[in-house]
Amino acid sequence: MLKKHPLFTFIVFGLILFLLSNRVDELRVFQGATVAIYVIAIASIILLTGYSGQVSLGHGALLAIGGYAAALSRNHWGVPVWISFCIAVLAAALGGYLLGLAAARLSGPYLAGTTLALAIGLPSIANQFSIFGGEQGLLFDIGAPPSSLGTDFTQYKWYFWIASLAALIAIYWLRNVMSSRYGRSWKAVRGNDVAAELAGINVGRNKVLAFTVSAGLAGLAGALLAMTISTVSPGAFPLALSFSLATGAVLSGVTTLGGVMIGAVTLVAIPEIVGSVVSRFESSESVANNLPGLVVSALLILTVLFVPNGPVEQMRARHEKRAKR
Amino acid sequence: MTRTNRRKLALTSAVLAVAAMTASSLPAQAASDPGLTSTTIKLGITVPLTGIASPGYNKIPGAMKAYFDYVNANGGVNGRKITLVIKDDQYIPTTAVAKANELILKDKVFALVGTLGTASTKAISASTQLAKRGIPSLFVNTGFSGFADPKGYPTTFSILPSYQMEAKVMGKFLKEKYADKKLALIYQDDDFGRDALAGFKQAGITFGTYIPYASGSQSLPATGAGWISKLKASGAEVTVLFGVSSASTAALANAYAAQFKTQWVLGSVGGDATTIAATNKAYVPLLYGAKGFSFAPAPTDATDEYIKLFQSIYATAQPTQTFDNNVVAGMSNAFVAVQALKAAGSDLTRAGLIKTIEAKGASFANPFLTPLGYSATSHVGATGYWIGTYDPTGALKPDGGKYTVYTTDSGNGPVVESTYKRPAMPAKGLPN
Repeated sequence: MLKKHPLFTFIVFGLILFLLSNRVDELRVFQGATVAIYVIAIASIILLTGYSGQVSLGHGALLAIGGYAAALSRNHWGVPVWISFCIAVLAAALGGYLLGLAAARLSGPYLAGTTLALAIGLPSIANQFSIFGGEQGLLFDIGAPPSSLGTDFTQYKWYFWIASLAALIAIYWLRNVMSSRYGRSWKAVRGNDVAAELAGINVGRNKVLAFTVSAGLAGLAGALLAMTISTVSPGAFPLALSFSLATGAVLSGVTTLGGVMIGAVTLVAIPEIVGSVVSRFESSESVANNLPGLVVSALLILTVLFVPNGPVEQMRARHEKRAKR
Repeated sequence: MTRTNRRKLALTSAVLAVAAMTASSLPAQAASDPGLTSTTIKLGITVPLTGIASPGYNKIPGAMKAYFDYVNANGGVNGRKITLVIKDDQYIPTTAVAKANELILKDKVFALVGTLGTASTKAISASTQLAKRGIPSLFVNTGFSGFADPKGYPTTFSILPSYQMEAKVMGKFLKEKYADKKLALIYQDDDFGRDALAGFKQAGITFGTYIPYASGSQSLPATGAGWISKLKASGAEVTVLFGVSSASTAALANAYAAQFKTQWVLGSVGGDATTIAATNKAYVPLLYGAKGFSFAPAPTDATDEYIKLFQSIYATAQPTQTFDNNVVAGMSNAFVAVQALKAAGSDLTRAGLIKTIEAKGASFANPFLTPLGYSATSHVGATGYWIGTYDPTGALKPDGGKYTVYTTDSGNGPVVESTYKRPAMPAKGLPN
């Protein structure tokens, strides 16, 4: 059904989310919004790494561009929220385009190093110019939910709706792009760039384009992230964020968009699950503090060892194998 | 077929995942504010326990808990025992908001206490809508003057004097002591440093050399060498450092390496020997002779009744940890929190607690050597500083062997030598 009526499926999924948001408590709603944001950010990495074969360890920097663009445009020009999100996408896409120009000439560890340097360097630029508000950052207030939604409609539900809608639209759009000429070109470039070039695909241009689109999505995730914490500051986009997004992409399976939820949910759920398990046992503080990171790292290693293409791709491959027999 | 299966699987797993997250349900609404029962009060704290900013700060929750446990063992607060839920935010605002949400929505704490870091405190306040929900955020550990303004943050109370106050006190000290010397200033180029610049301006101090540095920079040790050559070139005899401990470390280590001598004057944030020792223990003696500022009694001052009590409580609760100014900060914070809860009476509510601090906060018993500034128009905690000199172990000792305290405000008020005499500690260190 999904294949025949993808739009219909996305709408149904959206309705399920909508109904769920009315039934769960506020903490889950907030975490749901975070999952939606991670979905977009991880999809952006999957597009870049899985579909066009470029590695980014510095996606946090692109999220930062989006977050700051949204906050600045809203604070200085007073634009409506959705326009500030569009500006975030455009600003990050521009940043991604410039980065892509360099990236197209680099590969493997060199590209990883370049993006890593960006993730380290970019947030500290915020401290150099007073317009960015320094270490404590800027407020980003999207305002209260419309009064027509009722008085007991909470702020977090509003965030959840916005983030989920953005995620659904982004994934739907991305899915369509993937099956378009561009998506096929990117996959060809990833598979073998010499062969792709012989087939008439402009490798450089396609790499830059993939980087631009990926960065735009990351910018959207950054703006949404800034929305949920109502502020942007350099500390909100640490290196750890870039790494956990890359981890999320590996857990989801870098070559398929289908598993994107897995990584996003894992990143949000693991710290809490581990935290509540640890709190049942009288363990030392340092164990409790470091265990979530350890569990996520262990999952990462296990994924790479046993399901290198992610659980979804692995299932598909197994099904195909069985079908052939 | 297989494609459809794959998609189906992805969709089902997604729905299942979201459904799994809904597993927990809302508990029944209690009549009183959240976090309260007739026998308990639940408080929550989020601080960096791991990560780059954790050395030193990670001792604060343990110190607070040690004091709360001591109070609980002595009957609690108006018959209620305090539980402290501790979360690790790694000094990342996004994580701080997520953790604060867990504290508020899952653990259902009565109030937040001791939040640390300006960016995290600001993000928590805005995102969790502390003001709108009426959740008290007691005694945040940041000197950003904004948090002391009840117009912007009606439910937040700070505990530190503002950075502006500190710079004003420093300015007076520089004028009196080093009027004929060549002055230089190294400062963090953000709101933290700008608060300080405003304070120095009010104190009428101009420096011969200004050296700003970018906050959050990971390359401070390298840039430190540049500062020293600038200081050398300007012939700075007295150098004020208004920054974080990593900046102090970079400055002191590079000055030592370059054999450059200047009288260091360190702001309270950057003068923490524990944090400097976390970088390299060998750097601690470099603090020797530097001037420093504090508002709490020195952790080494065993003649102080509060310090004596805190030392004995902490030695029992955390026998392996060193008693330092982070511990004093944490225990003092807990002490003022207990005093506030006690004063709010047994009919405790969030709104009542905030009103009580505004009305009676200025006369709360507390370990600090300066008066508290709480009122309906100001939510600032301590209101001044005493000046001391670091000994070779990195401990700050008051000049002249006694605490001479200067107080002021965050506005245009003058800096005056305080006549405040701290009232005697309540019996057994339990607020009345």
